[in-house]
Amino acid sequence: MNTFLSRNRLIVLAYIGMLLLVLITAFFSPGFLSASNLRSTFILASFVGIVALGQTFVIIGGGIDLSIPWVLNSAAVLMTLLCAGQDLPLIWVVPLLLAGGGLIGLLNGAGVALLGVPPIIMTLAANVILQGLILVFTGGTPTPAAPDMIKFLSVGRISGIPVIALIWTALTVLAWLLLSKSAFGRHLYAVGTNVTVARYSGVPTTRTTILTYVISGMTAALGGILLTGYSGVAYLGMGDSYLFTTVAAVAIGGAPILGGSGHYIGTVAGALVLTILTGLLPALNLSSGALLVVYGAVILLTVSIGSETFSEMWASASNRRKRIKEGTENG
Amino acid sequence: MNSSSKQLQSAQSMNMQSRLLAHAPFLVACSMLVVIVAIYGSLQTGVFTIDEINLNTAAAMTLMLAATGQTIVLLRGGIDLSIGGMISLGTVIAATRFGDDPANILLWSGIILAIGFGIGALTGLLISVLRLQPFLVTLAGWSILNGIALMILPTDGGKVPEWWIGSGYLEFLGLGTPVWILLALIVFWCWFRATRLCTIIKATGSSEKSAFLSGVSITRINIITYGLSGFFAALASLYLTTQIGGGSPNIGTDYILPSVAAAIIGGVSLFGGRGHLFGTIVGAYILTLIGNLVFVLRVSSYWQPVMSGVILLLAVLASSYAEQKARKRGS
Amino acid sequence: MDIVQVKGLTKRFGGIVALDGADFSARLGEVHALLGENGAGKSTFIQILSGALNHDGGDILVDGQDYRPVNPDEALGRGIAAVFQELSLVPDLSVEQNIWFRREPRTWLRTVDVSQMRQQTLELFERYHFPSIATTREVRNLTLAERQIVEVAKGLAKNPRILILDEATSALPASEATWLLSLARQLADEGRLVIFISHRMGEVRAIADRVSVFRNGSTVATHDAAAVSDDQIVTEMIGRQLARLYPERMDTATDRVALQVRDFSSPPMLNGVNFDLREGEVLGVGGLQGHGQREMFQSLFGADKALGSVTLWGKPVCFDTPRQALSGSEGIALVPEDRRGQGLLLTKSVRENLSLPVIRRFSHLGLLNQRKEAELVRETMKSLSIKADTPEQIAGTLSGGNQQKVIFGKMLMTQARVLLLYDPTRGVDVGTKGEIFQLMRQLASEGYAILFYSSDLPELVNVADRVMVLRSGRVARMLEGDDITEEEILRAAVFDSEAA
Repeated sequence: MNTFLSRNRLIVLAYIGMLLLVLITAFFSPGFLSASNLRSTFILASFVGIVALGQTFVIIGGGIDLSIPWVLNSAAVLMTLLCAGQDLPLIWVVPLLLAGGGLIGLLNGAGVALLGVPPIIMTLAANVILQGLILVFTGGTPTPAAPDMIKFLSVGRISGIPVIALIWTALTVLAWLLLSKSAFGRHLYAVGTNVTVARYSGVPTTRTTILTYVISGMTAALGGILLTGYSGVAYLGMGDSYLFTTVAAVAIGGAPILGGSGHYIGTVAGALVLTILTGLLPALNLSSGALLVVYGAVILLTVSIGSETFSEMWASASNRRKRIKEGTENG
Repeated sequence: MNSSSKQLQSAQSMNMQSRLLAHAPFLVACSMLVVIVAIYGSLQTGVFTIDEINLNTAAAMTLMLAATGQTIVLLRGGIDLSIGGMISLGTVIAATRFGDDPANILLWSGIILAIGFGIGALTGLLISVLRLQPFLVTLAGWSILNGIALMILPTDGGKVPEWWIGSGYLEFLGLGTPVWILLALIVFWCWFRATRLCTIIKATGSSEKSAFLSGVSITRINIITYGLSGFFAALASLYLTTQIGGGSPNIGTDYILPSVAAAIIGGVSLFGGRGHLFGTIVGAYILTLIGNLVFVLRVSSYWQPVMSGVILLLAVLASSYAEQKARKRGS
Repeated sequence: MDIVQVKGLTKRFGGIVALDGADFSARLGEVHALLGENGAGKSTFIQILSGALNHDGGDILVDGQDYRPVNPDEALGRGIAAVFQELSLVPDLSVEQNIWFRREPRTWLRTVDVSQMRQQTLELFERYHFPSIATTREVRNLTLAERQIVEVAKGLAKNPRILILDEATSALPASEATWLLSLARQLADEGRLVIFISHRMGEVRAIADRVSVFRNGSTVATHDAAAVSDDQIVTEMIGRQLARLYPERMDTATDRVALQVRDFSSPPMLNGVNFDLREGEVLGVGGLQGHGQREMFQSLFGADKALGSVTLWGKPVCFDTPRQALSGSEGIALVPEDRRGQGLLLTKSVRENLSLPVIRRFSHLGLLNQRKEAELVRETMKSLSIKADTPEQIAGTLSGGNQQKVIFGKMLMTQARVLLLYDPTRGVDVGTKGEIFQLMRQLASEGYAILFYSSDLPELVNVADRVMVLRSGRVARMLEGDDITEEEILRAAVFDSEAA
């Protein structure tokens, strides 16, 4: 664990920042620490956190997934359409939609890993194509309300604890096991650090890359399904903000956009920070515009702290990093 | 006989094919445009009139201007997502500050353009000094600028004077304002592409290390390229106000990814160093005309994003195919 | 009066001392050769001289005035230009655009005057008898040798008084190398100073007026080239007699064929290679650079595609990916050419690097047994005496030699018993070189079969049991026993059928 902390200083910083933010918020709006408020904060953060899980895996692997918004929208709309407000069809609808999200991810991953299409372009194209297809398919008409079961999963509680927080916790444990305790995790970090070295070390690079996009497609679909339970209905555009928030959560959680390091544990903090900020600003009487400014500033701040320039300043005491950069280059 | 001139001649014929390959992405884009115009023209009368050209150019102009800046940044090997925020900010500043006095409007137009260049330059400086990834920095920049726009004007509104709107629809020699802007852009690019600066920008995008070893100041190039990107985004916002007649604090977001897509479709490389504005202009026309195509084909307008996504993928695959071919030839 | 005078130059990278009080002096009109082992400080020295790096201490005088350039432009302002081995060309620009980069002639519109630029290029090419290269080709489409020539042109285009050539001949075929040598001579005769770095003693002898020898970051001596013997220079470079660098030869090869390769080809670089590698044998691979060695190693490992039949321990195999090559006991492992780009995850720990190829082996029910991993990693580190503080040390912070040992360790942790070693001692200090050779012999005696390419002829001569010389993608000769000499290898590598 010690190595985990020393290697992931940025994650520690993200949690420290989150705690400071909690204190500030509690100071400005004393009601913030009430059980009901904490609960609703957790519920909101869960959606960001769950959708950002896949984004974290993709970014660690050196890619990015811009198709999240419409995978999320599609899953939400199709779920309500196919279930028509009934619980029973969920038995097959949910697995089907998760598989569908996975399939989109598979196509994204194949385009990136097999055809060499840049991730930004591949997932952007997937996003707009999916957007059009789902609009054609549904005709843009409103859809039935979410089934009660989904509502329970999104906003229900089991002995006071939101169900979705439990789902999120389970997914976090799963993500931690995958990243820190499995061969796949090692392969993923290797691919994100240097795909050629990974390939020369016998890592199944293509499969690993594709898997990250599959995971991202599945978590986006799951997020869409759960989000309908929160809003009660599915509407097109409900996923639009998730592109920004997932990337922001990953960035605030300390993962470099170029891949190779970072951890979902950091993204969890990122999701919480973003959600708490959303709650803090009304308390300060600030507009939604101010919220965007603060979001941008926080991202800028975290990437600056994580930048090479800063870490070199940090490391100059121990003189280690510099040796990596230059020492071996000029023997 | 000087042997060098002989070798030049033989080389030129040998070069023909590899040159064709080098321009393949642009040629593919041109043929796609021709096909789209042909289909459009066969189903709709009066497509090849000056009026129609004026109309479509007007529809494409905001995207073209935004994509011009994006093209410059892409050539340098970067990406600028903040243009979305800058366009929004430009329209709301114009809508709230212009008033009726032409002198005042001129002043504020200048201020908007200066803000565009200044913020872009600051972005470039930040990227260089802190050695940050442009994707995240400009994402944060988008958020901040969009937030400021929302703080100035929370909803669509404000207004610009009638004559300013009218200036977007003037005609001279039968050609409308947007066509003259387009011609100006083409003249600008014919000049710009032949300057040392453009060579240096492309070189930096092609290989930052080589450029640095050849004495290029990367910081200076970042300031210039992101500054120009901000400048063109501001220009796009000024043009946009003639189209929407006021300010719109979120409108710029609609131009971020299309500006990248237009450039990529036109054969600009996402990895820097290759491409030109003519390709981007073709790409912007393609993205705009797809809307008309959907209309004359009498299919749901929802097919528009599907088509643009497919065209984007086709363009990328065509260029990566051409590149592979060229590489094989090279080795 | 010498134009360049350097006294007590020092340069540090983090904790590593690259230059430690180097002295140097050279005059216009001479070709001044720099010699020294890899890591002796030559390249740091010329990078400082050309403005790519700043020095920490010591003085440089150019024309008797203090010289401390902050960038290559400033160095050029004082008349110094360098042709780096690490090419500074931009792949997406044409030959002429590269040559005149940032110095293009301009029209009144401030645009580049293309016809003028072309004229200047042709004049330059003619004046210095350049080999033919089309000036409008994009550099990305040029061969390595052509790029090197363009790089030389770029340096000359700056019309420097002092031109630094950093191993400029190493990528060139014989005729172009000869041209470059005469060019260096011509430049010196024009009254310029040419600082010439080469590992080829013959070239140095052919053109250098004086020779400076670097060792461990400082200059050992400067000689008139005519008045010094090869032996003396080598002794000065190494700092001691070449005592126990190479291990004692033992014949551990058995009759069992480990790797049988037939009609192995991947045109245009590989054109039908045939050989047998036996258990316990170290089979050397020689030849001039770019005659198919790289392609052969890559393809055998599954990193590139090739046709032909490959038989491993009697079974036909066909590897499409390195992953297939590394899996199982009938596999092939590669210590790749590019340590930093292909061999190591520089930002990850020694442990993560070592266990990467075999990480699945520690996986139980989907979870890693990290204790078992740590144990095996520790064992490997110990048996290869990898000098790291802990297994958690970041691989990029290790010395070059230790990095190479980690790569060996990675490959030894797999069960593959056929090892492909591509120039494993490049950029490795002498001490570690000895250890690597020792290790190779030991592995051979344990039954490994080793295919060993080296760009350094003495290594092949002293370590390999047999040496196969590649030429134009074919085995030109298989040398055995007393035939394995530097001369024979070179002869087989150089004299093609037309010349013979």
